[in-house]
Amino acid sequence: MEDRKPNWLLTLFLLIISAPILIMYFWLFIDSISEINTDGLWPEHFTLRNWRFLYEDIDGHGNVWKATLNTAIFATSVVSIVVILSSTAGYALSRLRFPYRSQFLGFVLLLHSFPSVTLIISIFLMLRLIGLYDTLVGVILVKAALELPFGIWIMKGFYDTVPWEIEMAGLQDGASRFQVWYKLVLPQIMPGIAALAIFSFMAGWSEFVLPLILVPGSETKLLSVYLAGLMIDDYLSDFGLFKAVGLFYIMPVMIFYLFTQDKLMNIYGGGTKG
Amino acid sequence: MRRLRSFLPLWFMLPASVIVTLFFVIPVFMTFAFSFTTMSSDTGVLGNRYIVSEATLLKLKELNIDPVLVASLGEIRFVFDDTNLKNISQLNLKPSLLKEINTKLKNKVFATEKKLYAALKTLKNRPRSFKDRKAISKATVSSMMNKEFLTADEFSQGLVSVGINLDAPAFNQLLELTNTSWHWTTDNYAELMASDFTLKILGNTLFYVFCTLFFNVGFALLLALATFYMPSGQSKIFRALWLIPRISPSVIYVLLWKWFTFDSGFMSHFLSSFGFTPQDWLKEFPWVFVILANGFVGASMGMLIFSSAIVAIPGDVLRAAEVDGAYPLQQIRRIILPLLAWPILFVTSYQTLSLLTSFEYILLLTDGGPGFFTTETWALNAYHTALSNYFGNLRYGFGATLAVVLVVVGIILSLLYLRLFDFKKLVTEPQIET
Amino acid sequence: MKIKQLTMAAIGAIFLAVPLAQAKDLDIVVWANADKNERYRFEAVKLAANVLNEELKIEGRDINVTVSAQSYVGSQAWAQLKQGFSLAVEAGKGPHIIVGGHEDIPVWGSAGLILPIEDYVDLEAWPFSDVFDSLWPIMSWNGQVWGVPQDAESRPFFGWNPHLKAIGYSDADIQALPAKIKSGAYTLQNVLEDAKKIQDKGLVEKGYGFYPRATKGGDYWQFYAAQKGGDMYDAESGKLILDQAALLGYYQFFNDAVFKYGVTKKNHLGMNWDQWYNEVANGKAGLWHGGTWHYARYTRKEGLTDFFDKVMFSLIPAAGSGGKATTLTHPLTYLISKQAEGDELEMAARLLTIVSEPRLNTLHAIASAHLGITNAQTKVSQYSDDRWTAEATALLQSAFALPNSVDFGQYDALVWKGLTAAWSGDLTPEKAVETVVAEIKATMADKVIVR
Repeated sequence: MEDRKPNWLLTLFLLIISAPILIMYFWLFIDSISEINTDGLWPEHFTLRNWRFLYEDIDGHGNVWKATLNTAIFATSVVSIVVILSSTAGYALSRLRFPYRSQFLGFVLLLHSFPSVTLIISIFLMLRLIGLYDTLVGVILVKAALELPFGIWIMKGFYDTVPWEIEMAGLQDGASRFQVWYKLVLPQIMPGIAALAIFSFMAGWSEFVLPLILVPGSETKLLSVYLAGLMIDDYLSDFGLFKAVGLFYIMPVMIFYLFTQDKLMNIYGGGTKG
Repeated sequence: MRRLRSFLPLWFMLPASVIVTLFFVIPVFMTFAFSFTTMSSDTGVLGNRYIVSEATLLKLKELNIDPVLVASLGEIRFVFDDTNLKNISQLNLKPSLLKEINTKLKNKVFATEKKLYAALKTLKNRPRSFKDRKAISKATVSSMMNKEFLTADEFSQGLVSVGINLDAPAFNQLLELTNTSWHWTTDNYAELMASDFTLKILGNTLFYVFCTLFFNVGFALLLALATFYMPSGQSKIFRALWLIPRISPSVIYVLLWKWFTFDSGFMSHFLSSFGFTPQDWLKEFPWVFVILANGFVGASMGMLIFSSAIVAIPGDVLRAAEVDGAYPLQQIRRIILPLLAWPILFVTSYQTLSLLTSFEYILLLTDGGPGFFTTETWALNAYHTALSNYFGNLRYGFGATLAVVLVVVGIILSLLYLRLFDFKKLVTEPQIET
Repeated sequence: MKIKQLTMAAIGAIFLAVPLAQAKDLDIVVWANADKNERYRFEAVKLAANVLNEELKIEGRDINVTVSAQSYVGSQAWAQLKQGFSLAVEAGKGPHIIVGGHEDIPVWGSAGLILPIEDYVDLEAWPFSDVFDSLWPIMSWNGQVWGVPQDAESRPFFGWNPHLKAIGYSDADIQALPAKIKSGAYTLQNVLEDAKKIQDKGLVEKGYGFYPRATKGGDYWQFYAAQKGGDMYDAESGKLILDQAALLGYYQFFNDAVFKYGVTKKNHLGMNWDQWYNEVANGKAGLWHGGTWHYARYTRKEGLTDFFDKVMFSLIPAAGSGGKATTLTHPLTYLISKQAEGDELEMAARLLTIVSEPRLNTLHAIASAHLGITNAQTKVSQYSDDRWTAEATALLQSAFALPNSVDFGQYDALVWKGLTAAWSGDLTPEKAVETVVAEIKATMADKVIVR
């Protein structure tokens, strides 16, 4: 379809309803590098003091780099588990014949929309039983388990769009079912894998409640808990500092998002078309 | 090769199934089980513990249990009989002290620890360290008081050792009364029915879900339609903009709303130029901002789904309408909206569930306040009950009960949706036999 | 050749490592809620470890004790600390020592998460023999002493002297005010009236006449305890008490402050602490209540160097006839968790004995403006030379503490809900009392005596 002509009235209207987002994120940037002026909106002068948390520990809140490293380990591990296991299970549910397949599928769909965080005490007990409470590994597994039904569901949706002919041709050439999956089908659903990877990375990077409860130790602190801790410190009501930490925390996701937004949109196109 | 092929579904399903079972499915069943317990931070989560303490004695008195039994349960004596002397000899004490104890304290009985220590002080080779004194006290004490027993057998042996013999019913009653661990009960459900707060929170939850849903779907439609009538460059920017709240970590996103609304934040400054006094707008209109904050996050999902649905409408249909002289508004009403009915239903049902069960944004934004349960929703209340009490009394059992209600509602809604969206169609049979 | 060299190096390394490995390292983990001023809650334990290690050397024991601390910052982090401790100890990942509130003793004691300290330290010996007598009942539950006091404090009522003068108080009046409050002649009713006068004169903004604590806290129980019949605990039956008349008086006071007098903001609760401290220390509020430790904040970060000229402090005034002027003391306590076993347990206990020494505890008292725990401490010059600790310690005589009861948290949460309802005007005070009483009867009937 040819491009439509700009309708400036419409654009203005959208700008107005989007104003809160524009304002909040614009000032997130501005306030992080300026002395906040409580009497007015416009900051008075430029400063980098808000970024001091990068080279000195804020009293009692631990080291931001350690939290960053933990968050990175957490998010990438969740991505790996979710992507790998969803692409195998999704394939099985979409393409393989096995007993109780449709029950499995119904179950996945049921879990996919489940009040998962309310299960946290029971999840704690499971972790305790296995000895993984207060370890990054434990909370990674939990987060992955909670994300998996969604991931499996999405991947099944992508597999469904792959034509059967590809597999049939592969089998006729003498490849095994596994080889067909690995060599022929997987390349077809790369956009889906990319979308799921991006999505789970963002979910992992942002997670707050699970680490708050399942990894209380300071050695395993994540950025979300770090920032939330700063915000309830009676000694700090320093929006400049909060925003600098916030910007630091959000930057990887933002950069990631800028480069991958087209792929991310796929998740809505492919997965939830049911 | 043949073997690998036939086990392929197993190998493909197994890893995901194991993780989901361990950390998702089993916890669901455990939550059901916990909802029938008195489990809390003061009962602990694991195992039985039987302790006779002052509190137990008070409880026994209140229940009119045999006063002689109560008295003997509460009795504390320090006895230097043969068995206890043997126990002492196994402690790591000086031989000279041991000898003196054996000669001077044999068969003596003391009524309090203080008296025992006084007696020990009279010894020439008296124990110098608190640790040793305490060890002697522990080795000689004959009492049920404040002793921890982990099994019923141990407890029964403990009773026998202080000379209390009970018949089975009396023993079982005592066992139950001294157990500080949790027990099975249906009281949680009774409490849920009896509490006035239940209704208030239920009302909040419905209000929250309904309003947020309305905002989400409304804005999603508005955005999808508006961006459809825009040049693709512009529409891309707007769609990307509206996805930012969704990809922002909740902690930052809420921080920004707090800054936006607090009494020297953006709104206060902005509105003061129109003569409004600066104030904490979030506290003044908590629901407005709870709904807005959730809505700005939620609208993006519908926006994307609706957009792709609109794009999928064949161009001819729209162009034909344009040729007929239909204005965009008529076009929307006559052609686009009817075709969007299905996606709208999907987004509505999907988001009903996620709104019912999510609480992170409210937790960070208002924490259920200000005032009397003002913005406390069901899921948040479950979290507060089970995991966040100012003085540390966490009620895991009752929290699980609250969670179970959500789980049941979730399952019912999901099943309903599965029917609605024709689940059978999603399960197409594989076309390749293995 | 290379392999041989490596082998030799390895053997050498083993021989060198043996003597080093002999001293057994024992790491004692401490968890505490502590802000900048309160870091001696765990720093003092680290200092104590130095002394303990010397003692161990003299005894010839090859143990080297180190202390690692995990701190939670901010009054709102308490809930997180407590929840974290409950789960962590159950999972075998808790600390050896935790600094808790005394009201944690029943909950954790009942769950078996902490050990009664009386079994591991000699309370008859120095320095525990010298601890203020009034602190031991607060450290006890169920017939045993579970913790040793970490600090003491009280929660005074404050007034901004320049504002009081502006509404007609003379210097002598202000000086006599604490005594007048103690005797019951100046009541909570007078507080509201004076706050209104201050506000009407334009000295403070609307809603700043009476400026309570910024967030939820045990402090609010003072306004219940100041009422006639405002008891919380029946020692005889071991049950909690809820006195309906006192509860109504408590709710009515805050409801009046907001709606009848307009001297307190309807949205006050949940405000930012940083802003709150800044306002009260700069005369933006007329009358308020806080804690003894606020002194450190006012005089340091907020720069209120002439505190004693500017600020009057006293007990919380009584609520009319039959009530009594009072203040809450909420001592924190060092508790040993069941995580500590064998040597760890012994070392944790010895650390707590050393850390309770007057001079070590005084570090915390002075740095955070909390009160000391032993009589001898009042003679340590740093402590006695400090005007604040010296004068504020006197308030302790009229102090009460929250009851040590397993059910307190649940009871407190319900009573608090009622207060927020009466404060925000969501319910009238009468209706709020009715709701809370109904809820308590429905859910805690066997645990609370409602009268």
